Amino acid sequence: MRKLASLSVILALCGGAFYAVSAAEKAAEPAKEAAAAKTPLECFESRKGASELTQRDVQPGWPNVKCSPTTGAALWYGDPYDGTVPMGKMPGLDIAEGKAVVKPRTEKLALMPMCGVSCHNGVGPAFNPPKLPKDKKPAPVPTMEAMVPDLANFQHGRGRIWCMDCHHTTQRNMLVDHFGDPVSFDQPQLLCGKCHGDKLRDWRDGIHGKRIGEFVSTGKKRWFTCTECHNPHNVQDGARNKGFIQVQPEPSPQLPRGMANADHEKLHPIPH
Amino acid sequence: MLTSFLTDYTRYVLKGGKQFYTWMGVLSAFILAMLFVFYLQNTDGLIVTGMTSQISDGLYLANLVFLVGVAAGAVTIVFPAYVYHHEGMHKVAVLGEMLAITAVIMVMVFVFAHMGRPDRLWHMIPPRGIYSFSSMLGWDVMVLNGYLILNFVCGFYYLWCKYTGNPVNQKWFIPLVYVAIAWALSIHTVTAFLMANNPARPMWFHSMMPIRFIATAFAAGPALIILIFLIIRKNTKFWVDDSAIKLLTTIVQFCLGIAIFLTLSEVVIELYARTEHANGLYYLMFGLHGLTALVPWFWSSVVLMIGAFVMFFMPSFRNDFDKLRIPCAMAFAGIWIEKGMGLIVPGYIPSPIGEVTEYHPSFVEWLMVLGIWAFGFFILTILLKGAIGILLGEIKHGGPAAAVK
Amino acid sequence: MVAEFAVKPAASQFTPLLEEDVAINQKPCAGAAQDRPSDCPVQPASADPAANQLKTTRRDFLRAGGMLSLSSLMGTAALMTQSDNANAAVEWGEHFQKNYRLMTTEEKNEARLRLERRYSDEYGKKVSVDTTEAQPGMLMGYALNIRKCIGCRRCVHACVAENNQSRGPRPGEKIEWIQVLRMERGKFEQEKMNHGYPEGLGIQVGGNAYTPAGQVLEGQYHYNPKAVPEADATYMPIACMQCEKPPCVKVCPVRTTYREGDGPVVIDYNWCIGCKMCMNACPYWARRFNLTTPVLPKEEMNPVTHYLGNRPRMRGVVEKCHWCLQRTRHNRYPACVEVCPVGARKFGNLLDPESEVSKILERKNVFRLKAELNTFPKFFYFYD
Repeated sequence: MRKLASLSVILALCGGAFYAVSAAEKAAEPAKEAAAAKTPLECFESRKGASELTQRDVQPGWPNVKCSPTTGAALWYGDPYDGTVPMGKMPGLDIAEGKAVVKPRTEKLALMPMCGVSCHNGVGPAFNPPKLPKDKKPAPVPTMEAMVPDLANFQHGRGRIWCMDCHHTTQRNMLVDHFGDPVSFDQPQLLCGKCHGDKLRDWRDGIHGKRIGEFVSTGKKRWFTCTECHNPHNVQDGARNKGFIQVQPEPSPQLPRGMANADHEKLHPIPH
Repeated sequence: MLTSFLTDYTRYVLKGGKQFYTWMGVLSAFILAMLFVFYLQNTDGLIVTGMTSQISDGLYLANLVFLVGVAAGAVTIVFPAYVYHHEGMHKVAVLGEMLAITAVIMVMVFVFAHMGRPDRLWHMIPPRGIYSFSSMLGWDVMVLNGYLILNFVCGFYYLWCKYTGNPVNQKWFIPLVYVAIAWALSIHTVTAFLMANNPARPMWFHSMMPIRFIATAFAAGPALIILIFLIIRKNTKFWVDDSAIKLLTTIVQFCLGIAIFLTLSEVVIELYARTEHANGLYYLMFGLHGLTALVPWFWSSVVLMIGAFVMFFMPSFRNDFDKLRIPCAMAFAGIWIEKGMGLIVPGYIPSPIGEVTEYHPSFVEWLMVLGIWAFGFFILTILLKGAIGILLGEIKHGGPAAAVK
Repeated sequence: MVAEFAVKPAASQFTPLLEEDVAINQKPCAGAAQDRPSDCPVQPASADPAANQLKTTRRDFLRAGGMLSLSSLMGTAALMTQSDNANAAVEWGEHFQKNYRLMTTEEKNEARLRLERRYSDEYGKKVSVDTTEAQPGMLMGYALNIRKCIGCRRCVHACVAENNQSRGPRPGEKIEWIQVLRMERGKFEQEKMNHGYPEGLGIQVGGNAYTPAGQVLEGQYHYNPKAVPEADATYMPIACMQCEKPPCVKVCPVRTTYREGDGPVVIDYNWCIGCKMCMNACPYWARRFNLTTPVLPKEEMNPVTHYLGNRPRMRGVVEKCHWCLQRTRHNRYPACVEVCPVGARKFGNLLDPESEVSKILERKNVFRLKAELNTFPKFFYFYD
C-alpha cells in the first residue's frame, strides 16, 4: 500500500514534468515561427500574371491586402477598390455612376504600349508591303508569331476562330466586337459575350465571375472582368479540368493531436 | 442534536486502522494529481488532453455517462427493498443511496473536467444566469441535481432516524423513495437523450439509446454494488444478507443479457445495410480507413460482457461469493468500455463531414480520470463507513462515541 | 415568393451614411466603421421597440436577483490565476457581464469599451469592437458554385486573416472554419469487373462497385498537390451553414449561441461555458473549440472586429463562421467571397430580388447539404 502511495505521487510529479516540457516548447516555437513567416508584400489576384497588388497600410494595422506566404496569392482585401477605374457602360447593366469599378487591364499587357503606335497605328504598317488581312480568313502573321512563339498552338475555339476574331485588325491596342468596332482591353466582356452569351448573362447578374466590395445590390463593387480570371490564349491546360488555370493550393489544415499523417484519407475501403 | 450527529459521524469515520489510512492516503495522492490536472486544464486549456475539435469529448464524457448509469443502478437495491419489501435489500438500501450520492458527485466533477470554462458554470443558474429548457444538458443538470438531493435526503434522513432511534416517518419518506426510484430512470434517460438527440451523430441517433443505457446501467451499477457488499462483508462487522447479493446477481445477469442483446441488434441492423451512418460502428468494430485504435477496446468489451454473462449462468460462480467477484468485475469493466470508448468516442469518428481522426487520451487525461475515480472512492468510503457505523449501532445518539466525550 | 416578401432594399436606409463617410475620408473602403473604428457612427438601436422594452424589464428582474455567492467564488478563482493586475478590473467586469442578448444598449456599450480597451492594450493597436445590430430588410444568404471550386483553399486562409483565429504550431492551436473536401472522380475499369460487392463473402453481385465517384463524404481534407484543380478530383468547401433551424442553438444550455435576425448564427464568447454540446449537435462540423488561449500574433491581428464576430476569443470557448458580421453588417462582402479566385462564392440579401443569391435561387439548380436533417441552411450549393 505504501508502494502504491509513492507510485501515485510519482505519477503526479510526472504530470508536472510534462507540463514544464510542454510550456518550454511553447516558448520556443513562436520565435521559430517569426523567423519563418516572411509575408510577401506583392501578391497576384485571381491568376498569376493577370493583376497584382502591393501591400500598404490604408491605416495603421489595416493593409489594403494581405498576401499568402505560401503561394503569393492575395488572401484578404482591406481595400477592395485599390487601383480601380470606372467600369464604363455595359449593355443590360444599369448601375449608378461610380458604383461599378474595374481594374484596368491595359497597363498589364506587355506589348500594349507598342501595339497602338509602332506597327498598327490605325492606318496600317508603314513598312513594305502594306498588308493587312483583306477578309476574316486566317493567315500567317510572321511578326506576331515571332513575338508570341506558341501563337500557332492556341486552343481557344479549337481552330474555328483566329486572332482577328478578337483583336481589332487595325487598332491593335483594341479588341473587336461583332460590328468590327473597337472594344477596350478593360472591357473584355463586350467581346467575350459574343460567343459566351450565357456566361455574360450570369456575369451581369453576379452569378458568374467575381465582384468584391459592397454586397448589397446598390453597393459599390469592383467587378472582375473576364480576362482577370481567364487567359483567353490558354483555355486548355493539361491536367486541369476547369476553365481556370492550375494554381498552387494554400497549406492543408493542421493535423489534429495524435494523427501522424493523413494517408488514411487516400484509402477508400470497400463497405461490406 | 444535529451537531452531535455530525461530530459523532466525523469522529467515527476518522477512526481507522493502518489499512484505512493507507487506502485513503493513496486516494488522496490521486486526488491531488487530479487537482493539478484541473489546474492545468484551466490555465493551459483542454489542449493538455487528447480532445480535439474533431473529437470534442472523450474519456470525461464517457465516464460521466457511465457514472450516471452507476448512480441510476442504485435503484436496483432501493426498488426491491421498498416496492417488494425484500428483507435483505431493505437492510442495505441506504448503502445503495450512498453509492448513488457518490456517483452523482463524480458525474458533477466530470462535468467540470470536460468543460472549457468551468468558471462560467454559473451562467446556467438563474436568475443571473440563463436556464435553457430546450437544452438536454440543462435537463441533465436539473435531474442530476434533483437525484443528488433526493438521495441525500432519503439516505441521511434514514440514517438520522437510526441514529436518534426515532421511527422513520413513513408518510413522506416512502413517497419520496418512490419519487427517487422514478427519478433514477430519468437521470439515465435524459443522459441518453443528451447523446441520442443529435442527428449529426448517426452512431448515437437511435431510439434504442435510452433502454440500452438503462440496461447497461442496471448491470454495471449492481455489479459494482455486489463487489462493494462483498468487501463490506469481509472487512466490517456488517453482514449483507446472501439473499440481497443473490437478487442483485440475478438483476445483473438479466440486464447484462438485455444489454448484450441490444448491442447485437444494433450490430445486425447497422451492418446488414452498412450505410454511411454505420461508419462509426464499423470504425469501432473493425476500423475505418486503416485506423483501428478502438478495435481492441470493443472486442475486449464483448469478451468481458459475454464471458461474465456465461459465468453468471454457472452455479459455481453464482453461488460461490468468492468467485462471484470475477464475473461482476468483468461485467463492470465490459460496460465501462462499452459506454466509454465504445459509445462516446466512435460518435465522433468519422466527423459529421466524414473526416476520420483518432482519439488518443493524454497522460494527464488518464490522471484526471483516475483522480476523479479516487475522489469517488474517497467519498464512498466515508459515506459507507458512516452508514455502516450507524446501521451497526456504533454511532448512536448518546452511544459509545458520545460516552468517550 | 422572394420578390413578394422583399422589403425596399435595406441598403437605401443606411448606405447614404456610409457613402458620405467614404467621401469625407477619401477612403475606398466599403464599411465606414471599418475605416474609422473608434469613432464610427452611432450604433443603430434595435429595430423592434418591443425588444427594448423586454430587455429593460428583464434587467430590472436580474438586478433584483442579485449575484450568486457561487458565481463570485468562481470568479475569484478565475482571477487568482491571472497574474496581470492591470487587466484584473477589466477581466472582472467581463467575467460578470450578462448574456449579450439581455444587455441594454448602455451595457452593450460598456462591454464594447471594456473589450476595446483590453484588445488595444493586448495587441498594441487601436482595436474597434462593433456592436451594429441586424438591419431591417436584410436576410443574408450564401451560395457556392461547386462546379467552379478548384480547391485552392484561399477562402480558408482569408477567413483566418479576417477572423482572428488561433494560428499556433501545436496541434489544436490552429483553427480554420472552412474545410475543403477533395472528392475523387473515381473510375470504372474493365479489370475490376471481378471485384465488387460483397467481396470476401463468397458471393458476388456486381463488379466495379467501389469507386468513390459521387461519394460525398468519402474524401480528403488534407490533400496537398502541387497544383489544383486536379483532373481526377472535385472539391467541396464546407463551413457553417447558418441554419434557420440550427441544432446547435437548440442544445446550448446557456443560450449563448443564437440566430441573429439577419441570418447568421452567432456566439457570445463571453457567455459560452465550453460544454461543447453544440459541437456534438452540428451536422456540418462547423464549430471549433479553443483548446488553449488562441495564438494570435499582434501584427496579424485584424483590429476591425464585431462583438458577435471576429473579436479575439479566449481559451475554452467555441467559435464558428458568422459570415464576417463585422463586414456584412456594413454591407461588405465576407472575406472568403472576396478572395475566391474563381468567383465560386456568392453572397447577398435573400430579401432583395436583385441580389446575386436571389438570382441564383431563381435561375440555377441549388441544393442544401444534408437537407434531410431539416436544418434549412441558408448556404446553398449550386452548379451552372
